Amino acid sequence: MRRRAATAAAAATVTTLLLASCGGGGGNEEGDGEGSGGESATVRLALAQDVETLLPMDSNVSDNISVLDVVYDGLVRYDPETTEPYNYVAESIESEDNTVWTIKIKPDLTFQNGEPVDAEAFARAWNYAAYGPNAMANNYFFERIAGYDEMQGETDDEGNVVEEPAAKELSGLKVVDPQTLEVTLTGPFAGFATMLGYTGFFPVAQECLDDVEACAVKPIGNGPFQVEEWEQGIGLTATRWDEYPLEEAPTYGTIEWTEYAGEENWPDFQAGNLDFAVPPPAELASAAADPDLQERFVEGPGAALTYMAFPLYQDGPWSDVEFRKAISMAIDRQGIVDALLPGERVPADSWVVPDGVPGGEAGTCEWCEFDPDAAKAALEKAGGWPEGETLTIHLGQDETEEALFKAIGDSIQQVLGIPYELDPTPDYFDRRAAREFTGAFRANWFPDYPLNENYLAPVYASGDPKKGNTEFGYYGKEFEAAIAAGDEAATLEEAVTKYQEAEAALAQDFPTVPVVFSVNSYYYSENMSNVVLDPFSGEPKLRLLEVSDAM
Amino acid sequence: MGRYIIRRVLLGAATLLLVTFVLHLLTTFAIQLNGSPALAFFGDRIPTDAQLAAVEERYGLDDPCYDQTGNPCLGPYVERLGAYAQGDFGTNLRGREVTDIVATAAPNTLKLFAIVTVTWFVLGMGLGSAAARWRGRSADHGIRMTSVLIDAFPIFVLLLVYRYVFAVPLSDWARSTFGDDSMVALWFRPSFDADHPWATVLVPGILLGLAGSAAFIRLVRASQLESYAGEHVRTARSRGLAERHVVLHHVVRNSSVPVVTAVGLTFTEALAGAVITEGMMNIYGMGGVLWEAVRGNDVALVVGIVTILAIVTVVVMLVVDIAYAALDPRIRYA
Repeated sequence: MRRRAATAAAAATVTTLLLASCGGGGGNEEGDGEGSGGESATVRLALAQDVETLLPMDSNVSDNISVLDVVYDGLVRYDPETTEPYNYVAESIESEDNTVWTIKIKPDLTFQNGEPVDAEAFARAWNYAAYGPNAMANNYFFERIAGYDEMQGETDDEGNVVEEPAAKELSGLKVVDPQTLEVTLTGPFAGFATMLGYTGFFPVAQECLDDVEACAVKPIGNGPFQVEEWEQGIGLTATRWDEYPLEEAPTYGTIEWTEYAGEENWPDFQAGNLDFAVPPPAELASAAADPDLQERFVEGPGAALTYMAFPLYQDGPWSDVEFRKAISMAIDRQGIVDALLPGERVPADSWVVPDGVPGGEAGTCEWCEFDPDAAKAALEKAGGWPEGETLTIHLGQDETEEALFKAIGDSIQQVLGIPYELDPTPDYFDRRAAREFTGAFRANWFPDYPLNENYLAPVYASGDPKKGNTEFGYYGKEFEAAIAAGDEAATLEEAVTKYQEAEAALAQDFPTVPVVFSVNSYYYSENMSNVVLDPFSGEPKLRLLEVSDAM
Repeated sequence: MGRYIIRRVLLGAATLLLVTFVLHLLTTFAIQLNGSPALAFFGDRIPTDAQLAAVEERYGLDDPCYDQTGNPCLGPYVERLGAYAQGDFGTNLRGREVTDIVATAAPNTLKLFAIVTVTWFVLGMGLGSAAARWRGRSADHGIRMTSVLIDAFPIFVLLLVYRYVFAVPLSDWARSTFGDDSMVALWFRPSFDADHPWATVLVPGILLGLAGSAAFIRLVRASQLESYAGEHVRTARSRGLAERHVVLHHVVRNSSVPVVTAVGLTFTEALAGAVITEGMMNIYGMGGVLWEAVRGNDVALVVGIVTILAIVTVVVMLVVDIAYAALDPRIRYA
């Protein structure tokens, strides 16, 4: 959600910083005694004003995910460096066949109101989220669990509900005993355990479901912090929960989030009222030139991929893979990023973010290098561009993205001589879902959980050889087979390898053109140390953060 | 006077109905033409029909008429009017009561407006009267020049320069001179602080007032000049009344009629300035909330807030009309 920027020089500083902080031993409990502010210390953060809920089942933007990350504990958490999952509230998560999963929960854990965190606590949260009429933002995460379909309403052709759902609970969830939850999926999926650290899978207390509206504003968590007060639109305060039983708890006492309508919080950071901020574009250069600020800068890879897709569901020059290669090789990604968004994006040469998630690898895209001659040759092989036609590039209305795609269009026009026009449309999602695009279009993918599979299957797999996937009508036999093989793999490592094969198959079919990945960055105040950014939300990892005496 | 007021109230009610209806039509067509705002809920994903239908119901957009371009959707309009009549202004997309949002946001905007109005009055009446009193002299020229200069700086430029150039050094200076929690340090905070609303809204309020004061200065000057040249002033002077008495009772009071009207008119205009000021200074107010609601396609919130604003505007206009009539008896008999 956030936009970041930095300079290349700064990036070097940061890498060193990051290495230094990680090398210092990931332990967050060890706070070096002196300087560590302890319980009196406060972290002051900015929060986007459009955070409207703190209900885990309904929270899906980086800001409420970031708050809930310290208020709730999930079954698994992710390694800040590798993003690999490890068990946290779960004692073990095991499966023989990747379809039936047995989750053992650590004993004696409670919510902040004293209710036990047991199998029932997870089952009630998941059932609530999966029940269609509740319209929870994280509803779709439960598609893989058996019984999901029965919990959704029937709709007619116009999309109006004609029949209420038949079931109110997932048939695939079974509370075996208080510490054991058995989950049956609709089919094998090796990455199931990886999903479980996501906000949508957090447990909730019965008291929360009894009054969902109250719980959305004042969560009853099981994490190291509890929400004291949330004055919606203005600010949110969380303080340490003293009875927190697990080990990953920050050493400081309070977190204060101030809500901002826009991104205009840089002067507040400069005046010392905030501990983390990102300068607006106009202030980037002066921030980058300030040696004092550069010592307090952190940058990390973002997880979002922006790519160019084609309406493969209709005939056109793009039906030929050579044409798509030509377009890809005609885009001067590095030149465009340097000119338009230095430090805010990096050129993409793969479909899965490299180093960001298990299985992510740079360079899987063979034709993502800028190569005008090869591009021209490929276009010729594809039979050229029809005389007198203009290539339309559809995209949503967004100033930055329009500038980016104008530069991409210019690059294509310059190299291949294909005239283009941008079509920034307010009803982008509607038209895309209805397959109304008649030219190339911008697309973006932000993963839901850290696994290379999430960049691939949800976007490209459909199991429908005739129609292909909804977005652009792609179907790859080899690709689907590799995904299925990954889903059935015995271990996560094997699955990751299979998913990598799926990416390789995708790279051969070349249905879409990767363009850029996002970059996360932040400036922080003198009081902060051990600043690590979450590659997912792009926000600082609050549990790792160390705070020296405030002010 | 009674009949005059009744007429005005009826007119106000009719205006409200018209405003809500036009607003309803506009938002309805926007949904029909742009596609369902519920789709944005899913971001990059394409939802299944059942998922979309569930979210549309949650958003209150499940009436089939929203899928039929050109259909004025009278059903939902009547339903909404009925709910409004009972004081139920609905919820925003995520289920927060519109009245709750307004109750949090409105006091901040009112504080801003209070400071803006005081600034207008002080600058407008003070400088305008001075310019009229010493017409043609250097004071007059100076004041008129200043008003042109003020006009040349739109509010966003003033705020931008203040926030990015002056606020940080001023705030640093105040904190080191008077202490971290001193009043002066709060005045220069780069953005609003809900714990100290008056102190942190002062500077933005004065800046917004300053930006809108040029018109007032000129209005007061022009209107007082007319009075100075008026026969009643000449008569008063010829009767040997003290100059002070003449200025206060026959010039300033008479010239206040157009000024009161202008305050009423500018009140609505100030809301536009408030959107910018609130946005930039991070004041959680009506302008900022409305701006975000429009951007987020939050139909229920937009309609709810605009309706509440329309009610306030109509009431303010009503008060202005009545004040006008009280100040100038000719009006109520017209």
